[in-house]
Amino acid sequence: MSVNEKFSGMRKGLLEFLLLQIIAVEKVYVADILKQLSATEFATQEGTLYPLLSKMRREGLVEYEWKESEAGPPRKYYKLTPKGQEELRETLEYWDKINTTVKKLRQP
Amino acid sequence: MNKVITINLGGIAYQLEEGGYDALRVYLESAAMRLRQNPDRDEILLDIERAIAERFRALLGSQKTVVETKEVAAVVAEMGPIEAESGEGATPGAAEPKPPPGASTYGAGGGERPPGQGGTPRRLYRIYEGAMISGVCNGLAAYLNIDPTLVRLAFALLTMLWGTGVLVYLVMAMVVPAARSPEEKSAASGAPWTAQEFIRRAKEGYYETMKGFPDRAARREWKRRFKREMRGWRMSFDREMRANADHVRTNWHNYWTEQAPFHPGLGFALPVLSLLQGAAAVLLICAVVSLLNTSRVFGLALPAKIPEWLAALLLFMAYGVLTSPLKAARRACYWGLGRPHWAWSSLFLLDAVIWLAVVAVLLCLAVHFFPELSEAVHGLPALAHQAATDIHAWWKGR
Repeated sequence: MSVNEKFSGMRKGLLEFLLLQIIAVEKVYVADILKQLSATEFATQEGTLYPLLSKMRREGLVEYEWKESEAGPPRKYYKLTPKGQEELRETLEYWDKINTTVKKLRQP
Repeated sequence: MNKVITINLGGIAYQLEEGGYDALRVYLESAAMRLRQNPDRDEILLDIERAIAERFRALLGSQKTVVETKEVAAVVAEMGPIEAESGEGATPGAAEPKPPPGASTYGAGGGERPPGQGGTPRRLYRIYEGAMISGVCNGLAAYLNIDPTLVRLAFALLTMLWGTGVLVYLVMAMVVPAARSPEEKSAASGAPWTAQEFIRRAKEGYYETMKGFPDRAARREWKRRFKREMRGWRMSFDREMRANADHVRTNWHNYWTEQAPFHPGLGFALPVLSLLQGAAAVLLICAVVSLLNTSRVFGLALPAKIPEWLAALLLFMAYGVLTSPLKAARRACYWGLGRPHWAWSSLFLLDAVIWLAVVAVLLCLAVHFFPELSEAVHGLPALAHQAATDIHAWWKGR
């Protein structure tokens, strides 16, 4: 089992965290998110993103608004709700803690 | 030459090759299947449809109006499999409903219809849309997924065998139910998404999108655009329904507009071609009649080993072969004229009138000059009477 495979579950779990970060910077629509992730280990597809975003919306972390696009139908632009910002802050804190632990236990 | 099917995605009409349509359908059906536990199922499906629509739009241009099968497969592959939610469940895999066996391909394997799972099971119905008499041939063609003309031809050939075709046709017209409800119509052709379903989905998408608009100007613009799309889409669908119940649209259009640029002379070639084809049709009728009456084709005796029915069949085939270039040329003229214009429309009408007139005049002449043909024509009422009495007797003796 390669490292890549071993961490697939973890990447999946972290995707929501990354989405919170991306959406926190500015209002984005799905193609923007895909582009930002495409060069990383977290490269993903619409088939994954839409269900995840809809779940986050149901949990009140993100909301969307419609915006006209220069070509084609209008698009959904996502942004964080106050609850989403709170969630992001907590997650970042927790992530830092994990990181510290990893670093501390690492062989010098 | 591939079939082209019009579909509606997020309120906008697209034309796909049949294989691509199948791939897309399999993908969306499996998506719906995987999301069936999801409270936001419809919204996610709409999102997916919109995303696909946007990719299709990017592929098309003024010259290219049809999305090819391989392009659909590429778009579907780019979209990726729909992930059922795994956030709540303890084990990600367990919460995922198993996709149906046919749907697991996600259309990546091209446009193959999954066996038995390709949506609505087909049933034999009579289909009135695009029917000639009572829709028997049309329904049979949709059931077998072939061209209705072939079925009609088969019935015509069967009829020459002591009227078997007529008998079978009558029985089927009485026995086979007509497709009336939308469900029956979709079952008749095996296509799960009927016109009504398209319209319902389009409207749903439209209102859903409308809800999120901030200002009136944007809303008005969207409304205007949507109406235009719907109009164009409905018109194209109606046209297709008229042309063929299986709403088959061939790529002839593209093919011929590419091959033959607009040329007014084509319009005038039409009547001439029609004349030729009409003459050939009359020749065929005369030949068959003379064959049946005298066992000779225009005085030429048949080789001893060929029975009459085979000779008639050969005549029909010869007619088909001889007139196929004529037909192709006429079709080329039609498409070569480009977009329909009232002047050309009236020319087509003229063409049809000329065609009928030529056939009528030649038939009159033939009846006049060939005694055996005139005999056959005069014998028709008696023959019909005989058939009627036979049927009557059979009905009484039942």
